[in-house]
Amino acid sequence: MMEQAFGYFTIAWFDPSLLLLVAAGTFAGIYIGAIPGLSVTMAVSILISFTFSWEVNDALCLMVGIFMGGVYGGSRTAILLNIPGAPSAIATALDGYPLAQKGEAGQAIGIATVMSVIGGFIGIFVLAVAAPFVSDFALTFQPRDYMLLGVLGILLVGSLSGESLAKGVMAGALGMLIGVVGLDPLTAQERFTFGIVELWNGISFIAVMIGLFGVSEALAQLHHLEKAAVKQKVTKIIPSWSSIRKYLPLSLQTSGIGVIIGALPGTGGDIAALMAYDHAKRVTKNPEVPFGQGAKEGLVAPETANNAAVGGAFIPMLTLGIPGDAVTAIMIGALYIHGLNPGPMLMIDRPEMFWFMVGNLTLANIFLLIFGLTGIRLFTKIVECPRGVLIPLILLLSVVGAYAVNNSVSDVYWMLAFGVLGYFMKIYGYQVGPVILGVILSRLIDENWRRAIISEQESLPVFFLNLITSPLSAVLLLAVVLIFLSQTPLWPRRRERT
Amino acid sequence: MEVRRERQPGERGFGLLMLALGLFLAWQAYGIAGFEALSSPGAFPMAAAGAMVGAGLIVVVGDWRAARQAPQPLAETARAFTAEITPSVVMIFAGFVIGYAALLDSLGFLPASLLFLFAAIHYLNRGSVAFSFGVALLSLAVIYAVFRLVFQVILPEGLVPEREIMAWIGGLFAGEAQ
Repeated sequence: MMEQAFGYFTIAWFDPSLLLLVAAGTFAGIYIGAIPGLSVTMAVSILISFTFSWEVNDALCLMVGIFMGGVYGGSRTAILLNIPGAPSAIATALDGYPLAQKGEAGQAIGIATVMSVIGGFIGIFVLAVAAPFVSDFALTFQPRDYMLLGVLGILLVGSLSGESLAKGVMAGALGMLIGVVGLDPLTAQERFTFGIVELWNGISFIAVMIGLFGVSEALAQLHHLEKAAVKQKVTKIIPSWSSIRKYLPLSLQTSGIGVIIGALPGTGGDIAALMAYDHAKRVTKNPEVPFGQGAKEGLVAPETANNAAVGGAFIPMLTLGIPGDAVTAIMIGALYIHGLNPGPMLMIDRPEMFWFMVGNLTLANIFLLIFGLTGIRLFTKIVECPRGVLIPLILLLSVVGAYAVNNSVSDVYWMLAFGVLGYFMKIYGYQVGPVILGVILSRLIDENWRRAIISEQESLPVFFLNLITSPLSAVLLLAVVLIFLSQTPLWPRRRERT
Repeated sequence: MEVRRERQPGERGFGLLMLALGLFLAWQAYGIAGFEALSSPGAFPMAAAGAMVGAGLIVVVGDWRAARQAPQPLAETARAFTAEITPSVVMIFAGFVIGYAALLDSLGFLPASLLFLFAAIHYLNRGSVAFSFGVALLSLAVIYAVFRLVFQVILPEGLVPEREIMAWIGGLFAGEAQ
C-alpha cells in the first residue's frame, strides 16, 4: 500500500514533460501572483481554461504549480511596492515593505521565500498524513463555530490598528459594511445598493484592495518625490542558517495556523496570514525592530501560514469536495471537467490521484525555492527606479488590475475612490489593514450568524446555551473572550500589577 | 511600542466625516429591515454600523479634547491643510489620474495610458520630453505585452482597432508558416 502510494507520489518526478509542467506552472504562478490585481484566483481560472482539453495528469501538474506559486508570488510586490499581489500577501506588506524602505528587500524576499517553502512542506505533510482526521474535524463545525471563527479573525483589528484601537475598529467596521454591499446571499434583499443595479454584485474586493494599498501609497509617495530611492541590498538573498533557525519555531507555529485555517471551508491563505501575523505579534516579546516597522517575525509568520494553507485547503477539497477558498473552488470545477469527483470517494476510487497531487505539490514547492531565490535582482531594480517614474507606473498597474477583474471602468472608479480614502486614512493615523479584514470576514460572520440564530428559532438564550455547552464552540468562545480582553486597556494594567 | 504621530491639519474634520459616514450607514442599515428579526439581512450591517459610530464617537471626542489643549484658528488650519495634506503636486497628479480614468473608455487603453504616463512622468520626474515619452512608451509596451498578449486580459479598445491589428499580425505569421 505504502509502496503504491509512493509510486503515485513520484509519477511527475520522473516524467520530464510533467516535471516541466509543474515548473512552468510554479513560475507562471509566482510572476502572475506578483502582479498587483492579477490574483492567484484569476491566474488559476485563466490558465486552467487552457487545460480542459489536456490529459488529466498534465492539467493537474500545471494547476498545482500555479496555485503554489501564485500564493507566494503576492509577497514580492507586497515587499517591494507595498501592493500585495494577492490577498494572502496583505499581512506580508505590513513589515515587508518597511524592510524594503530600509534597503533590505533582497533579504526580505529571501527569508519570505525560505519560510514559504517551509510552510508549504508542512502543509503538504499534514495533507498527506492527517487529511481524513482534519476533514472530519472541519465537518463537525456548526454555523455558530464559523461565526466565532470570523469574530476571532475580526479581533485581529486590535493588532492592526496602530496607534488607536478606536480608529482600527472604525476602519474594520467600515470594511464589514463594504463587504455586505449588494444582494443579500440568503434573501436577495438589496443592501446599501441605493437602487444602483451595478452594486448588486457588491464592490469588487480587488478594487478596494488595490485602492487602499496601491493608489493610496502612490499618492503618499508624492510627498517624498525629492527623496532619493533607497538602494536595495541584494547581495545576501539566501538567509543564513542562524536566521532560519531563529525563526523556525515561529514558522512551525504559524504553519500550524495556516494548515488549520486553510482546511476550513471559506477561509484561505489571506485569513491564515493575518491570524499568523497576529500570533507572531503576541508571542514575540522583544522583536529587534517593532512590528509594522520591519520586524522579520512579521514577515515570517504570514508567509509560512499562507503557503501552509495551500496544503490545508487541499484537505477538504480532495476528501470532502468542499472548497477551502476561491481558488480551490475553481480547481474542484476543473477536476469535475477532467472526470474526477473530489470527495470522500476520491480517496477510495482513485487513491492514485490523491498521491499524484501530493507529489506535484511537493515538486511545486521545490521549484518555488528555486524560482523564488532567483530573479530578485531584476525585481528589486523596480524600487530603485526614480519615484517620478515609479508612481505613474504603480497607478497604471493598479488601473489595469482593477479593470481586469470585471472588465469594468466602474471598478477603476471604486479603486480611485478607495485610494483617496486610504490616502487620508494613512495621513490621519487610520490603518487600512482593518478595512480589508472587515471586507474579507463580513460574509463569513453575517451568513453564519444568521444560519446559527435561525437554527435556534431566533432565541438568543438558546444560542448562548449551545455556545457554552458545545465543547468546540466553548473553546472558540473562550479564545474570542481572551483575545478581546487582551486588546482592552484592562489586560496590560493587570499584567503590570502582577 | 507605537510612536505617537503628530496631529495633522484637518484630522478633526476627517474624524467628523467618518462619524457622519457611520451615522449615514447606520440609518441605511436600519432601513434594510429595521429590528424585524435577529436573522434579518439588516441585523449584521446594523451591528457593524453601530460599531463604526461608537468608535467614531471615541475618535471625535479624543480629537476634540486634543484640539482644546492646542487651539488653532480655522484659517491657519485651512492653510496648513492645503500646504501639507493636499499640496499642489498631489492635486495635479490626482487630476491626471481622474482624467486618465475618464478617458480610458472613450480613447481606449493604449492612447489613454500613453497620454497619462507621458504627462505624469514628465510632470513628476522633470526630465526631457524625449526621456519622458521614451519611458512611457517602453513601459506601456511591456505592460501591454504582459497583460493583453500573455494573460489575455481584456482592456478597453477605444480608438485603436487592436483586434484587427492582432488578426493581421496573426495572418502574417500564418502566411509565413505556409
